[in-house]
Amino acid sequence: MSWKSWRRLRQAVQILSFISYIVLIFAVVQKRVAPALVDIFFRLDPFSALGAMLASRQWIAKFALALVTVGATLIIGRVWCGWICPLGSLLEWVSFKKARKRAMAISPHWRLVKYFLLATSLALALFGGLTLLVFDPIAIITRTLTTAILPGLFYAVNSVETVLYPVSFLSPALDGFEGVVRGTVIPVEQPAFSQNLAIAALFFGLIALNLLANRFWCRYLCPLGALLGLLSKVALFRPVIGTACTQCTRCAVVCKPGAIDTDPEDFHIMPSECTVCLDCMANCKPGDIRFRLRLKPAQIEEFDISRRQALGALASGAAGVLLLGTDLRLRQDNPWRIRPPGVPEEDTFLATCIRCSQCMKICPTTALQPALTQAGMAGLWTPLVVPRVGYCDYGCTACGQVCPSGAIPLLTLDKKRTMVIGKASIDRNRCLPWASGMQCIVCEEMCPTPQKAIRLEEAEVIDSSGRTSTVKRPSVLRDLCIGCGICEHYCPLEGDAAIRVYDA
Amino acid sequence: MKRQPPLSRRTFIKLTATVAAGAALASCSPRQSPATPTDAASAGIKPTLPPSPTSGSVPAGTSPSTPDQANPTETSANPEPSATTSPAYLAVVHGPDPAAITRAAIEALGGMAAFVSAGYDVIIKPNICTDYHPPEYATTTNPTVVGTLVTMCLEAGARRVRVMDYPFGGTATSAYATSGIGDAVEAAGGEMHVMIPSKYKFVDIPQGRDITKVQIYPDILETDLLINVPIAKDHGSTRLTLGGKNLMGVILDRGMMHLNLDQRIADLTSLVRPPLTVIDAVRILTANGPTGGDLSDVRQLDTVIASRDVVAADAYATTLFGLTGSDIGYIQASADMGLGTMDLASINIQEINLG
Repeated sequence: MSWKSWRRLRQAVQILSFISYIVLIFAVVQKRVAPALVDIFFRLDPFSALGAMLASRQWIAKFALALVTVGATLIIGRVWCGWICPLGSLLEWVSFKKARKRAMAISPHWRLVKYFLLATSLALALFGGLTLLVFDPIAIITRTLTTAILPGLFYAVNSVETVLYPVSFLSPALDGFEGVVRGTVIPVEQPAFSQNLAIAALFFGLIALNLLANRFWCRYLCPLGALLGLLSKVALFRPVIGTACTQCTRCAVVCKPGAIDTDPEDFHIMPSECTVCLDCMANCKPGDIRFRLRLKPAQIEEFDISRRQALGALASGAAGVLLLGTDLRLRQDNPWRIRPPGVPEEDTFLATCIRCSQCMKICPTTALQPALTQAGMAGLWTPLVVPRVGYCDYGCTACGQVCPSGAIPLLTLDKKRTMVIGKASIDRNRCLPWASGMQCIVCEEMCPTPQKAIRLEEAEVIDSSGRTSTVKRPSVLRDLCIGCGICEHYCPLEGDAAIRVYDA
Repeated sequence: MKRQPPLSRRTFIKLTATVAAGAALASCSPRQSPATPTDAASAGIKPTLPPSPTSGSVPAGTSPSTPDQANPTETSANPEPSATTSPAYLAVVHGPDPAAITRAAIEALGGMAAFVSAGYDVIIKPNICTDYHPPEYATTTNPTVVGTLVTMCLEAGARRVRVMDYPFGGTATSAYATSGIGDAVEAAGGEMHVMIPSKYKFVDIPQGRDITKVQIYPDILETDLLINVPIAKDHGSTRLTLGGKNLMGVILDRGMMHLNLDQRIADLTSLVRPPLTVIDAVRILTANGPTGGDLSDVRQLDTVIASRDVVAADAYATTLFGLTGSDIGYIQASADMGLGTMDLASINIQEINLG
């Protein structure tokens, strides 16, 4: 097989991988059951895996698959980046003509940033913090799809339909379309997420950086790429330019991550930067770039992280843990810091959650929202239950099914139904029967526990027209309440509900 | 040597403008007049011609004790409950097989052919309120009852039978699965329909006493036949959820309904006017409804009630709980509006025991 065919194969794998990533994304939008391996891209990700295991100080069996990626990298280098990674593929496909020229103006020393980010993230993890996993590439693309792109897409479909449905001759076609997609691909409830703009800005910002250099993110910033790059330095087989080289730099021109050092004194491919895309091999005129067995580690590059820099990163990680850990928002009890069902201690949760946002995507009611500062900056983009947005469905265990790190435990339905995520309490100054003598008690109707956790008592009230009538007034039975929040969600009061769930 | 783009900017803008203008025109012209109850009635009720006690306008404020109950007795040839001779106004069937009692109840009303003509597009609206519990918990309508109705509609020549509800707990798809209704309907040849939020539209309620407008799923009003199939169960604010309450599943904003639930359910009933109501009392939920979850609150009654009159069906169902129609606010309100009768003594009730 020629290098050109190998490159074709790589491109095919890349497209297939991207398509399967997207299919898996759509497979678990607001569903109650997740197919097995729906989180496979996270489970293959050694950066998240290492971080979560370091921080939570446990072996996480689900992450064993990450060893496959590590193994492949130790054999042949960053195949993950060039063949599998959905963000990497996207950044490869979005390329700008002038990017190569502009990249030449950027000092290769900037490549250090990704190693520093990796070292700091892992140092932070070592001391129990996973905040920097927000920069995991799979998490970035998944979070953006979850909170920004998919809701936007669904909103577009719904808006177009709202316009088209009144056109009577179109409705059979729309009904046919709906019959196929609604409830399978497009959820019934329109999702909406807080901070979608910020999350989208990060993602599209990373793509825009491609204007400056091809695969800018992969070259300079990606902590996962940095980890795999370090492993590639000791990979068994590395791309090597042979003696037939005329230094025509054709390889350097086509190399998207810019992994070829064109210094005439030392013309070589840097294994740590190479994404095994095979473009150089397919384009080499003399055809003398090939993989060679190497047992000694690759040469040190000028931008490699030095011992001093590594210690600096370690120190930053430690300082980060201290600063994040003394964030008042984290230390204080926060009534709105309601975690998904079965989550144990807050500290353990923050040390296990990889910020992947899959729980938010699968939650059928979109109750799970990315945190901003509710758990301190340490808890940025971790999931919170926001009952006014969505309740925790009494018939659902979906979040635990998709959590790759087990931060949200996988529970049986019976077990989940006993998990207390908070406690509801009623504001009698706002509740309609209490404050205004009006009939309501939606909360009691919605309460899903077999013995209702909301008790009704009848009271005589005088209404606005002076007539005496009887209303039922709700009160919460705290020992029965599991904090699912369906009462708060459906409370018909405008704005904030008169019954609210507080963290318990 | 710049390559000519396939579309010049000018052509593109022209094309876009033309298409937009066309779309704008199209969305203005063929808009149907808002469906009114008379539309719904003529679409749904006319071919079946029920012995309705409510046909014709009833003066507002008709007292419940002197309603137009002459109508049902007049229209039914034989006021005595007789098993075979004439169609019953209300059928109550007991028996261990939910499919058999459902069939018997519809037969007693004159058979499904009295409701379904060839080519009909039928909607069945069960109560699939949550995705929490399987059917044994009596929180969702019995799947066999629903499946049997689907079969009967298809046997009677219906072109399509869709089954739908909009659960408040969980998603439609998950609730369809948990309730067992999804499987039963698909086995019978019907289709489970997920109600589409963008399709709801505001419709006037001409007879509405408290609400005069509601955002409703249009298919419910446009279908050839709507079969309302509630399960009889306990309910916090209304005491019982039956046929009238079950109609809340076809509207979007249910929060506002609760502010004056009884009258607003009656108002909604006046708009929807289901031509056939089949109440599932195979199992009933006697407490902690409508969500349930405790088997000790469930009673097995092996009963199905059917009538063209949702008020009468509801009024009869209250007796299963030791109550009467006037105990339930929305049944009283519906009767007050002349939407049906809750005077069970005045109607032809056929009670059948399939032992």
